[in-house]
Amino acid sequence: MSYKVLVVEDDVQIRSFICFALKAEGFEYITAGSATEALEKLSEKVDLLVLDLGLPDFDGKEVIRRIREWSHMPIIVVSARDREEEKIAALDTGADDYLTKPFSASELMARIRVACRHILLQPDQEARAVIEVRDLKINMDKRLVYRGGEEIHLTPMEYKLMSMLFRNIGKVITTGSIIGELWGSGYGSDTQALRALMAGLRRKIEINPAKPEYIKTEIGVGYRLLDE
Amino acid sequence: MKRFKRYKSMKDRLHNIFSAVLIFAAATGIGYAFHAVNFSDTNIALIYLLAVLIIVWLTRSLPAGLLAAIGGTFAFNYFFAAPRFTFTVYDPNYYITFITLTFTAVATGILTARAQEEARLAREKEAETKAIYTLTNKLAGAKDLDEIVDISVSAISDALQCNAGFLCFDSVGHPDSMYVLHNYKDKTNTKIDTDNPDLLKFHLNKMKGDYIENGEYIDRPIHGRDSVLGLIRISTEDAKNIDPSGLRLLHSMIDSISLAMDRLYSAQQRMKSIQEASRERYRANLLRSISHDIRTPLTGITGMSEMLADTIPSDNEYCMGLAVKIRKNAEWLHSLVENILNMTRLQDGTIKLRREIVPVEEVIGVAIDHVEDHRPDLDIEAKIPEEVIMAPMDPKLIEQVLINLLENAIKHIKADDRIWVSVSKDDDANEVIFKVEDSGEGIDAKDLPYIFQEFYSADRLKSSDHGFGLGLAICETIISAHNGRISAANREEGRGAVFSFALPVEEKDEL
Repeated sequence: MSYKVLVVEDDVQIRSFICFALKAEGFEYITAGSATEALEKLSEKVDLLVLDLGLPDFDGKEVIRRIREWSHMPIIVVSARDREEEKIAALDTGADDYLTKPFSASELMARIRVACRHILLQPDQEARAVIEVRDLKINMDKRLVYRGGEEIHLTPMEYKLMSMLFRNIGKVITTGSIIGELWGSGYGSDTQALRALMAGLRRKIEINPAKPEYIKTEIGVGYRLLDE
Repeated sequence: MKRFKRYKSMKDRLHNIFSAVLIFAAATGIGYAFHAVNFSDTNIALIYLLAVLIIVWLTRSLPAGLLAAIGGTFAFNYFFAAPRFTFTVYDPNYYITFITLTFTAVATGILTARAQEEARLAREKEAETKAIYTLTNKLAGAKDLDEIVDISVSAISDALQCNAGFLCFDSVGHPDSMYVLHNYKDKTNTKIDTDNPDLLKFHLNKMKGDYIENGEYIDRPIHGRDSVLGLIRISTEDAKNIDPSGLRLLHSMIDSISLAMDRLYSAQQRMKSIQEASRERYRANLLRSISHDIRTPLTGITGMSEMLADTIPSDNEYCMGLAVKIRKNAEWLHSLVENILNMTRLQDGTIKLRREIVPVEEVIGVAIDHVEDHRPDLDIEAKIPEEVIMAPMDPKLIEQVLINLLENAIKHIKADDRIWVSVSKDDDANEVIFKVEDSGEGIDAKDLPYIFQEFYSADRLKSSDHGFGLGLAICETIISAHNGRISAANREEGRGAVFSFALPVEEKDEL
């Protein structure tokens, strides 16, 4: 089946190049040049959203907030704002991914492909007990993690972190939301403990922690478990 | 305002002598009356003593009192002591009377004179304090230099009853071209040309005492916190009439003026730095919007060149090459703009370090990812120790340093050369040392000293690639902001260059 993507971008040229790339990959698409138009077009069935934050009528984050009231559809933000705070705000509002301009079509398409897999997984994602990424496998019922068939011994905190990454596979999860889940919201924004925990986890699952193949860092924003 | 003068005029003196004579005449008259009714001579002597006291009190001067005491003694001797109307005496008892009379008169004279002198000093002091207070008060309200000058010259002129001039110095300590001169009689200010500013400055620099006398004028410098702020000029003629207490007042006034000028200048300085700060903010905003606005068209160029490459038949190598070049140039332009903006922000101080304690492999991983995304053909090695090294740093900026070093290495390697990043901890120096090495052409010895300079690009002429000239300079700026060190060298074993930087593990300054 082919997915329908709504491209929300006020710059005509960028819109046309995104559409061109989507078409080349066999996606259907519709476009909107403003937030209001985007919300109107959502009455059609749309599977995925590519959203620019700097829209002429109101901020793209408001669009994310309204969509999240009723839908889990993947939202990929494309923005010229490169500050970490902006990325964190968009991700915490509910965006699945964030791409800073200028980006290439191949980068965007890679992110869209990841998002599409989530559309497939979504209905039973919560229920799935076993998730696999290449050599890495988690069994949530047994609370075990394997690499290449061998069990990896994780501490309880490492397991919590690993399972959170698996549940959000392919998405960037912000440092703040990880800390909130692992230590509770009263812990504040001290990232040092999380970073140390991550360093330990990487030493167990990555071949070379300085060239991670599973868990990628988005400096100043958060982490992402790659799903391909 | 009261004029501070101690010396009495001739008229005053004549008046005092006349009064003294009159008082003695009265005392003698009363003495005759006492003598007629056969009062004892001692009572008459007391009358003279009273007369001397009155004279001392009236004349307010010790010498006058002494003269009065001696005069009184002689008068008593002449008019009343037997034999009368001669300066000789029969009864030796009278000598005692004379001596007592003289001493009492002198002692009383001294005490009275001293008390009066103290009262006079207190009055002068009070007037002085009042003058300084008024001046300081007025100066506090002064909004600019002109007001300070006007207030100062009129206050000094009034207090010392002379024509005072004021000359301001500019910020580098050079005298202004115009004096402001106050005329205390008609209370007006006029501006006159400074005779010879250079000569004045020369004198000032060689000055030893607290004033410079040059012919007609005496100039007193106003010393500020850091330099001479100006001069107070009084004509030599007027200056001669100023008594020591007036001089003291003048010095105090000059001190007040210097305080007021310092205050004005530092207020102006503050104002200036506030303006500068808002200009900085404006500049930072401008930079941010440039960076923001340039991304959108760059995305368009990058994306459309990709579209172009996709639509060109793969056998048309020429057109394909053009499309790829467009894209590469867009990427280059993007990184150039980012680098310029970062450099500007760092040098402005608008980027503040956000230090966090980060495992070193995290930044290395991100930097290598970034570079390999653009050059999928490369396989950059990363060597880290088994132990997790955590170091305080601004991870975003250190990532930038590593990316710049890697991109620099890429420019200097050929197809089968290697690049590797390593990190180690030096426990003795309490540092973490990052190294980016390559097996490329290495660095020319003559370029080594300049390699971190802005816009210095060793291969600018011989290479067809774009010379950044900024990448390494940014590394240097970022590392020094971290109190670290960065250096470049050629590898000791084999070909190639090694760039290394050290970050302190303990934050010394910001904890």
